[in-house]
Amino acid sequence: MSAPLGYDDLVTAATVGTGRGSLILGPPAPGSPAPGSAAPGSAAPGSLAGPAGAHAAVLDAADPAAALLDAAALLTSARRAGRRAAAAVLPDPAPPNAAPELSAGACAVLGYALRDRDLLLLADLLTAAAAAGFRAAAPILPSLLDAAARDSALCPAVGAVLGERGRWLAAHRPEWQRVADSPRPARPEAADLAETAVWLTGCRAERRDWLAAQRQREPGRARELLAAGWSRETGDDRAELLQTLAAGLSAADERFLEDALDDRKGQVRQVAAGLLAALPESAFVRRAIDRGAGTLRVERRGVRPELAVILPEPGDGAAARDGIAAAPPASAIGAGAWRLTQFIAAVPLAEWTARLGLAPTALAALPVAGGFRADVHAGWRLAAVGQRDEAWAAALLDADGDDPPDRPPAAWPGAAQLAAVLPAQRRLAWASELLASRGPSRESVAALAACPGPWPASVADAVLAHFGAAVAVGATRAGRDAMLLAPVAARKLPAEGSRDYAAELRALAGTQTIDDGLAGKLRRAADAVARRRYFLRELH
Amino acid sequence: MLALAPDEPSRRAAGRLTGPGHWSGTGAAGLVAWGRFAGSGQAPYQTVIDLSGPAYACSCPSRKFPCKHALALLLDWAGGATPEAGQPADFARSWVAGRAARAARAAQPADAAGPDAPPGPGAEARPGAEAGQRAAQRRAGQRQARVAAGLAELETWLRDQVRAGLSGTSGYRHAEQVAARMVDAQAPGVAGTLRGLSGVAGAGDGWPGQLLGEYARLHLLIRAHDRLDELPDGLAAAVRSHVGYPVARQDVRAGPAVSDRWLVLGVRDVLDGTVPARRILLRGQRTSRPALLLSFDPRGAFAGDPDAALRPGMAIEADAHFYPGQPALRALIGSRRGEPGPAAAPAPAGGVGRLLDDWAAALALDPWLTSWPALLSGVPAPAGDGWQLADPGGHAVPLRVSGSDIWSLVAVSGGHPVTVAGEWTDDGLRPLTVWHGDQAVAL
Repeated sequence: MSAPLGYDDLVTAATVGTGRGSLILGPPAPGSPAPGSAAPGSAAPGSLAGPAGAHAAVLDAADPAAALLDAAALLTSARRAGRRAAAAVLPDPAPPNAAPELSAGACAVLGYALRDRDLLLLADLLTAAAAAGFRAAAPILPSLLDAAARDSALCPAVGAVLGERGRWLAAHRPEWQRVADSPRPARPEAADLAETAVWLTGCRAERRDWLAAQRQREPGRARELLAAGWSRETGDDRAELLQTLAAGLSAADERFLEDALDDRKGQVRQVAAGLLAALPESAFVRRAIDRGAGTLRVERRGVRPELAVILPEPGDGAAARDGIAAAPPASAIGAGAWRLTQFIAAVPLAEWTARLGLAPTALAALPVAGGFRADVHAGWRLAAVGQRDEAWAAALLDADGDDPPDRPPAAWPGAAQLAAVLPAQRRLAWASELLASRGPSRESVAALAACPGPWPASVADAVLAHFGAAVAVGATRAGRDAMLLAPVAARKLPAEGSRDYAAELRALAGTQTIDDGLAGKLRRAADAVARRRYFLRELH
Repeated sequence: MLALAPDEPSRRAAGRLTGPGHWSGTGAAGLVAWGRFAGSGQAPYQTVIDLSGPAYACSCPSRKFPCKHALALLLDWAGGATPEAGQPADFARSWVAGRAARAARAAQPADAAGPDAPPGPGAEARPGAEAGQRAAQRRAGQRQARVAAGLAELETWLRDQVRAGLSGTSGYRHAEQVAARMVDAQAPGVAGTLRGLSGVAGAGDGWPGQLLGEYARLHLLIRAHDRLDELPDGLAAAVRSHVGYPVARQDVRAGPAVSDRWLVLGVRDVLDGTVPARRILLRGQRTSRPALLLSFDPRGAFAGDPDAALRPGMAIEADAHFYPGQPALRALIGSRRGEPGPAAAPAPAGGVGRLLDDWAAALALDPWLTSWPALLSGVPAPAGDGWQLADPGGHAVPLRVSGSDIWSLVAVSGGHPVTVAGEWTDDGLRPLTVWHGDQAVAL
């Protein structure tokens, strides 16, 4: 008798087919050849392995196919019931969390924002949670990481609530890991300067932090370290690390930055140009003034002064090296006009007041000869945003009002971008004035959206008054404009305190005369305010 | 309900004909309802509906079927406006008896639903008529004979497969034809198993072993069915349930009640054929008994079934009635004492060893089981291409998850042991719920 038959033997026999007589199975019949085995001289029937062997008597004697199925039934049952555990390989556990976890209810609010793809609201909520010292609860971490992996604008907000558990989880997937260590602000305090190995072998974010710490202590030494390994860095590393020189920037850095203007990587050249522009005594700034300051002149024609424009000649290689692009960002902008805009944008704004002898408000209010008003103002707007000049930003906001020319943002920073230069209080005052004078429009809504929330009661009242007016007139232009305001109100109306703005929005949405579209928007805004209210209560 | 209407006008008309103003002598017994409708003619129309069909009869001259009177009666009945009566009115009784007799003569239509399907038309006992009960007994006998004949054919087919060799098995749906035959033979459970083999042949490395195992279990079921009358009650009931004999819900409800506070361990929506089905795993907090509720809703909303609204982590104080079979698992909720409410996490369960012991014990009672409820404590850990659930004792079982489904479980665990509920199968543990503190997180 051969060795007891196992399940694999049966599988082999069944695969080939019992019709070929490859396997003899049947009840043990002492002394007699197995019935059904026609083959002469066949061996005794094989016995079954394991506990199934005890039941061999039930095998069908008449039909080898049935006997095989019987045997397979016995062995497969024994196999299934005898399933063994595998050896465990335990993972490294996540370190314990220091910060408290958001409640299940608060996470449900996050879940609604995720479901509605309301990423701005989601970012607001997460930022508030992080500021209150909370981290996201474990069950919602995968959805948050997924959302941030899809939309990098969410990365800072999500990164701030990951906690130890979230960072542990993110290490399981590369796209999540990128969220966990993407654009968090440099934290020089986190770096240990004694650990020079970090500078040599760390990841990009670690090296950036380390270099920033070095820059804080010895600015010159940091620059020398960066310069020493410069040629071996990747383009992305060069751009990221060069940015650390913004802290403690001085004339001593100019040479290195001038060299970086010739870098292979456009992003590096951009960073270098930006840093050089912030050095008022640099050759870069002198070149910009030489190119651009002569393009504008105040002329008096009769009693009214106006701004005369001298279109600059096509730039040379040096202009291109300093970041002047040849191609206008929109086909409607002529090459010469675009050159004018860029030349003006590169000049320090203080230069205009000094040279032309007028304050920013007066300059911005001047008529511009030759139909170049949009091109000149575009240059100033770019400069005001780039140089973060409050006085100019305010002057241009007033002068240009709420009527943007048809230009892409690269050739016309919007009102919201300009307003972002103003301090928060002033920005809000300006935005609410804009709302009061123009009503809800693309510009005024964007300006309000750029103000930090929650709004003070005066702004909230003004916004509700606009909704009230729009609700009263039904499906009209005013109604449609008010729709623009609703999503911003959803994020910025106060969600704490005695007044329940959600209820007020709902009451407005229930008005008889309301247009259906606006009613829907207001109800959604009301829901969002109510959810924020609930969420913020959960943070206490 | 109004989906039964033949057209929109009938639907609208029926809505206007409901209520006591139009009807007299209405009543209902079981699934039969009747009434007299005061129409435009001299004599009122006599209307009868039998929801088990559904079937309708009305003495009105309308050629639409069902007519607006039958629909209106249906609406009244559904709204609870038809009083329960012990005996149908005479005109209703004669119609029901006539139908039962016809049904006994004619062959029953095939029951195409799966083993866990809601009881088919023939399943609910007809109240009232004795003729109906006799007919039902006769039908049961006929059914068993029909099933036995079908299974005999399947046995021949199985032996042919093994005789000719599994290597010759070809085609994605090689078992489709014999599965259709099993539907005709009123063995829907077997038909479902056979259809499930569609993807097995030729798929992956171990397919001949898997296919042989499935064939062997069907073969074992056939041998057991051959001796159905000799088997102990529990085993016989298990065999009948796997073959797909229907069991009337009212018979289950009439059985003994297990009173407990039932915690919902997990909920899983599946498609049974094309019918949306919801599997709800329960565990008695005092008895530690597992129970499985099945809810079917051809329209997909589960709106009519309060049990289908149970969510993981809830508990309800109620009576459970178990279907016949061993080990007892499938159940119905009978009377409820209070509404479902939130519950604490289940007490830390055993580990992997306990899970496998439970599985072996369950298989010893019913070797055809394909899954068993699991509640255990463990850590999800990567293992090769997949994941396993490892207990602190160093034992692990594979986790049966697809793609992104694993991450909630991993996040909640954080590499530490967590309480997980799910369904154990031969392919591993399908996790359904993990507890984060006392919060049940559906996976």
